[in-house]
Amino acid sequence: MSAIEALYVFDEHNNLILNHTYDSRPPPPSVLLPLYLQHGSPRPSLIYLPSTSPPTLLYSMIQDNLLFLSPLSTDTEPLLVLEFLHRVADALEEFLGSPLLASKITANYDVVAQVVAEIADGGVPCQGEANALRDVVETGPGVLNNLLGKVGLPGGSAPALQGGPSGRLQAPQLRPAETAQGSAVPWRRSNVRHTSNELYVDLVETLSVTLAPSGRPLSAFAYGSIAFTAKVSGVPDLLLGLSTGGKGSGMGNRGDQLRGVMERVVFHPCVRLNRWNSDGVMSFVPPDGRFALCGYEVDLLGADSPLTAGKTAANNLNLPAMVEITTCLGSNGSDFEVRITQPSSSSHRAGSAAAASLQSNLGTGSRPGSFRAGSGGGGGGGESKGPALENLTVHVPLPTGVRNISDMRPSKGEAHWSPADGRVEWKVPSRDFGGPGGAVLRCTIQGPLADGNDGAGGMLNGDTATTYDYTDDEPATYQSQHGSSSHSHASTNGAHESGRRRLARYKELMPTSAMLSFGLKGWLASGLRVESLLVDTKKSRGVGPEVKPYKGVKYLTVSRDGIEVRC
Amino acid sequence: MESISRISSLLETARDLTLEAARDAGPRKSTRPLPAQQIKKLLDSRTEREVLDGLRRVIAMQYANPPQPTLTFFPAVLKTLSNPYPSTRPLVYNYLIHHAEADPDTALLSINTIQKSLSDSNPRVRAMALKTMAGIRVPVISQIVSLAIKKGVSDLSPIVRKAAALACVKCVRLDASTKPQVEEYIATLLTDKQYYVAGAAVQAFMEVCPDRLDLVHPAYRKLCRMIADMDEWGQLALLRLMTVYARRCFPRRTKTVKRAQTREAKAKDFYEDLEPGAEESEAEYDEIEQIEPDLALFLKAVQPLLQSRNSAVIVSVARAYLYLSPTNYLHHAVGPLIALLRSPQDIQQVALCNIVQVCLCNPQHFVPYYRHFLIHSTEASQIWRLKLEVLTLIFPFCGKDVQHLILAELEHFSHGHNVDLVRESVRAIGRCAQSSDAATSRRCLSLLLKQIHSPDQHLVGEAMEVVRHLIQRSPDEHRKTVVRLAKNLDSLTSPTARASIVWLVGEFAGYEPDDNIAADVLRILVRGYADEDDQVRAQIVLLAAKVYLHYLNAKNGKQKAIDALDGPDDGEKRDKEVMSPTEDDDEGFREDAFGHSGPIQQAEQQLEEQQHAIELLYQHTMLLARYTPSYDLRDRARLFRALLSVPSSTELASLLLLAPKPVPQAPSPSESRKNFALGSASLVVGAEAGISGVKGYEPIPDWVLEGREPDAKLRDDGDGKAEYVPASQRAAVSAGQMLDEALQADPGYKSNGGVKKEKTLDDWLDEEEEETSSKDSEERSGDEEGDRETEEESEYETDSEEDEKAGLVR
Repeated sequence: MSAIEALYVFDEHNNLILNHTYDSRPPPPSVLLPLYLQHGSPRPSLIYLPSTSPPTLLYSMIQDNLLFLSPLSTDTEPLLVLEFLHRVADALEEFLGSPLLASKITANYDVVAQVVAEIADGGVPCQGEANALRDVVETGPGVLNNLLGKVGLPGGSAPALQGGPSGRLQAPQLRPAETAQGSAVPWRRSNVRHTSNELYVDLVETLSVTLAPSGRPLSAFAYGSIAFTAKVSGVPDLLLGLSTGGKGSGMGNRGDQLRGVMERVVFHPCVRLNRWNSDGVMSFVPPDGRFALCGYEVDLLGADSPLTAGKTAANNLNLPAMVEITTCLGSNGSDFEVRITQPSSSSHRAGSAAAASLQSNLGTGSRPGSFRAGSGGGGGGGESKGPALENLTVHVPLPTGVRNISDMRPSKGEAHWSPADGRVEWKVPSRDFGGPGGAVLRCTIQGPLADGNDGAGGMLNGDTATTYDYTDDEPATYQSQHGSSSHSHASTNGAHESGRRRLARYKELMPTSAMLSFGLKGWLASGLRVESLLVDTKKSRGVGPEVKPYKGVKYLTVSRDGIEVRC
Repeated sequence: MESISRISSLLETARDLTLEAARDAGPRKSTRPLPAQQIKKLLDSRTEREVLDGLRRVIAMQYANPPQPTLTFFPAVLKTLSNPYPSTRPLVYNYLIHHAEADPDTALLSINTIQKSLSDSNPRVRAMALKTMAGIRVPVISQIVSLAIKKGVSDLSPIVRKAAALACVKCVRLDASTKPQVEEYIATLLTDKQYYVAGAAVQAFMEVCPDRLDLVHPAYRKLCRMIADMDEWGQLALLRLMTVYARRCFPRRTKTVKRAQTREAKAKDFYEDLEPGAEESEAEYDEIEQIEPDLALFLKAVQPLLQSRNSAVIVSVARAYLYLSPTNYLHHAVGPLIALLRSPQDIQQVALCNIVQVCLCNPQHFVPYYRHFLIHSTEASQIWRLKLEVLTLIFPFCGKDVQHLILAELEHFSHGHNVDLVRESVRAIGRCAQSSDAATSRRCLSLLLKQIHSPDQHLVGEAMEVVRHLIQRSPDEHRKTVVRLAKNLDSLTSPTARASIVWLVGEFAGYEPDDNIAADVLRILVRGYADEDDQVRAQIVLLAAKVYLHYLNAKNGKQKAIDALDGPDDGEKRDKEVMSPTEDDDEGFREDAFGHSGPIQQAEQQLEEQQHAIELLYQHTMLLARYTPSYDLRDRARLFRALLSVPSSTELASLLLLAPKPVPQAPSPSESRKNFALGSASLVVGAEAGISGVKGYEPIPDWVLEGREPDAKLRDDGDGKAEYVPASQRAAVSAGQMLDEALQADPGYKSNGGVKKEKTLDDWLDEEEEETSSKDSEERSGDEEGDRETEEESEYETDSEEDEKAGLVR
């Protein structure tokens, strides 16, 4: 059995905004939601609820603050259901625009109803490609679009301006629901028309780096995705060539090099696998609009890097910023310090890799060199001057025993302590960042055992009363702490012992790691580059030789708490 | 696992905000509720725009939360079906499916209109009508639906055939009695040459009749070849089907190369089954898993699917490899499984469950990927738990430096703040220790012993538990360790740890009776009894009982020895013993034992008067236990007292207290769900679902016995079979009908000859070449025409032309 029974969508306040039942009688959302919320966050994606009738497997997924739930009464492949939920989110985004907002769903129930009904027929998932749904879902806001002869078509104001051989274009326009045979390419809707032809490639890499206290990297991965936006009339056949930027040279031909760098690649079904396996190029007929072309990962350490690699290996990663954390500082050992620095090597590198765009030359003439750095490319804003570091943030999670951070002294930017999350957040404006010293944040921790005159004395005694009975090895400590209600007293009476004790206490309250987040435009950790993007005019349909799509490339490296330093 | 919405959220800041997105979501008419009367008026209107608007409002009301009553619009909505506007159809159908159950009589009014649409010239309209009709949940119409499906199955348009395949599922749900007919339809559709029709047919097959494997034989090879082109959902269904099919239809064979090709008996297969990971040993034995060509066809055909973007497909392929050919193919699936770790958290968790499952069978394959399983401090507990497990599973197979890294990693997390993580990582160290060689094991132990001085109570408690397990595994090596641990009792505060140590001391109380610390430890502990935690008290009481028992045993042993020596002389004393088995008596024997040495005798005599220290200790402890608030503890004390009340008869007490303890095994946590099939929900849910798994769980069937498998020839006539089935079916009807139907079906026949292979996308795109070849063949069938239309349409061929063709054929 692999039939979806129902789909419930909740907004960020856990209000039900969509309830679609496919089959049978699953427990209603009002029953499932409290049971789901019972589990502590982060909640597992599959929860077994034996108490409902019938016993239910509850699948959940969160996308753009919306909670997608799907109950099932029988054993189904869990990943099938979860992938299905992601596809629903993708499809809704395709129709309603990104980001997916609750208000968009509630305002467009007619479209949403059709999408969720078409994506699974009677609960059996049957259409995974959002773009193909355009052929069957009626989206037109009314007569207005119909008068223009096109429904739900981007750039629909003037169809058939560009495109292939003229004769065929005279054919009467059909509305999607009428389009007879459907597209021959299952993932591409039929009759695509665009007034301006555009192709955008976005390479996004997410970093996941773990650094040992010594600074040597334990693991360093870049998880990459290629988001492709194709707005070309007809059925274009594209050829995307990537280059490794020098990595892995000497490993045979370009395809081998590329496959050596891009590991464990997954593709959208449109990519011809044998072309990739033989030549290392991606040859595909894209869906119309935006889609995820491919996903890959890059081991930044190299597959067989020695474990004993020292700190130099960390520099080899070429990260745009590094973070260090030192604990147990200050006279009491109650301070810790976080420092972010910019490795010198990263400043000059990748300068030319800024968001590049190009207006392709005639037809086939795109060669490696023809991507030139330009301004205003890719639709972004002014990132023409080199990689731009954004949203530089450091998170320092603290143990629950920490009562307060009494003193935070960032040399740049702002830091604040949120007891709810149990972490310090330090934001550094990217323009301030840089320079030789980097930026430093120093914090003083106050735990429940903090000595001082803030009334912690009673707590101290209460907490340690039982603890000290067996610490025969340090009898002096008990005496001194017991009698001390102020720091000065303790320092006169067995100051050394108490200091040691306090150090140990604070050590327990010290953070064990710090996480660095940032976004960097125009640079990829893997060093991959888009080398060429060609429209194969021979294989394409309905794309005339005179069609020269505008091509844009964008690189982005993101770290979402992805660089973790331990101490 | 790749989803565009996820990438979009990454791009959030650098989003390429297109006008298109804005326009699609564009300004819509406000959906403020209108009075019902006005909506009815909109629905009754003659303009398309107003009807559409009315329908939108009805649908919005139907989905709104809380839902508003929309049943009253039923007649008005159905009336709009008579409008010629196709744009309103999807919404009307949606409404119809939603409300049909509530008002079946009204719903039936629409059947006629829908039936008309079934013979519309536009295949999309036909498909939608079929889909809707099957979706109406009114059991009376099941026969009509079945007929409609029958018509759809032989439709020229693959879109309609796909809809027919999916309608089969709904038809059987509606009325189970239609199942025999529906199975026939599915059999026909399985052999369809359009890959997405076949994919949908497989989905329907899995929903309706997953046991009718006989229907699959003729389509087997074709399906295998088509799997790469199907959509993900078809692939998933087919992978599930083929895994079962292969187990049921291909007996497992192995052969030994050196000897003449003897086919190994089933027993041998069974052995292989238990050890699927015997890859390197295979080279030594020269024993090769023999894979039938048909099975190999499938296993090869699914290999490209490992690059699918759909995580479920990857896991399904891994499942097929794990259960069908672990030695030859499984390693292909390991890398792609690792790739799943970069997917969103929800998928990652389920993927990890599956990775652990594969890892339990075959840890070696995962060794190179150890870096992927290092834990991040931000990860959810479900995820790091599983990652830790993988790390411990691959630990014994790693090189020295990697082992070192893993241990350092575990040590780091054992100092963390998260109580659960501390516990799990300490346990993981224990698992590493028990699965590796002695040297590493010692290192793990010393690592754990270091933790004992940590101020963190949880850490100490957990570490002690694990240390206890390790000591128990090889007690002889660890006598010294126990003494060292006992010294720590002075400083330790964690009750769990103290209890563990006290228990260990008790276990070791029997070794080297002359030089044992147990009694001394008891003496010290009893002093602080009042301040101890309950679990420590319980262990103290137990320790007292054990020490006392050992003392009694030793004494009785000596007594027996003396009895044997002294023989009849001793009879008198034995009588005494029987008559009054008191403590004093025992002391009496003791006196005898040392009778020959004067000064000692003196001392013993003194002791005798005051009783032996151990006895006193024991009695004191029992007294303490008697006034302990915990009733459980009091009960235990009572039990011990009763057991040990007769000092001379300690057999029962020895049996109870000194029984050799089984060596504790800390199995990998997922060991308990090892029996569940890879990729099932029961595997993820685990023990919660019970032994038989969640409802609907189906285990992977055993290999079919040699000789019981269906004949391989059944798969041979795959292409011919497609023609036979409908033909034999038609044989019963009248000649005239037969002629008609033959005419109708004729193009379909020939197409089988005309098209030599399935059309993959590439074929279609390389159609230039093929075009000529297909023109050569005279018999260009109508069905192929249909395909050609599909192709041409994207070249902006007109629709009307194609409709004409469709009409001609009909």
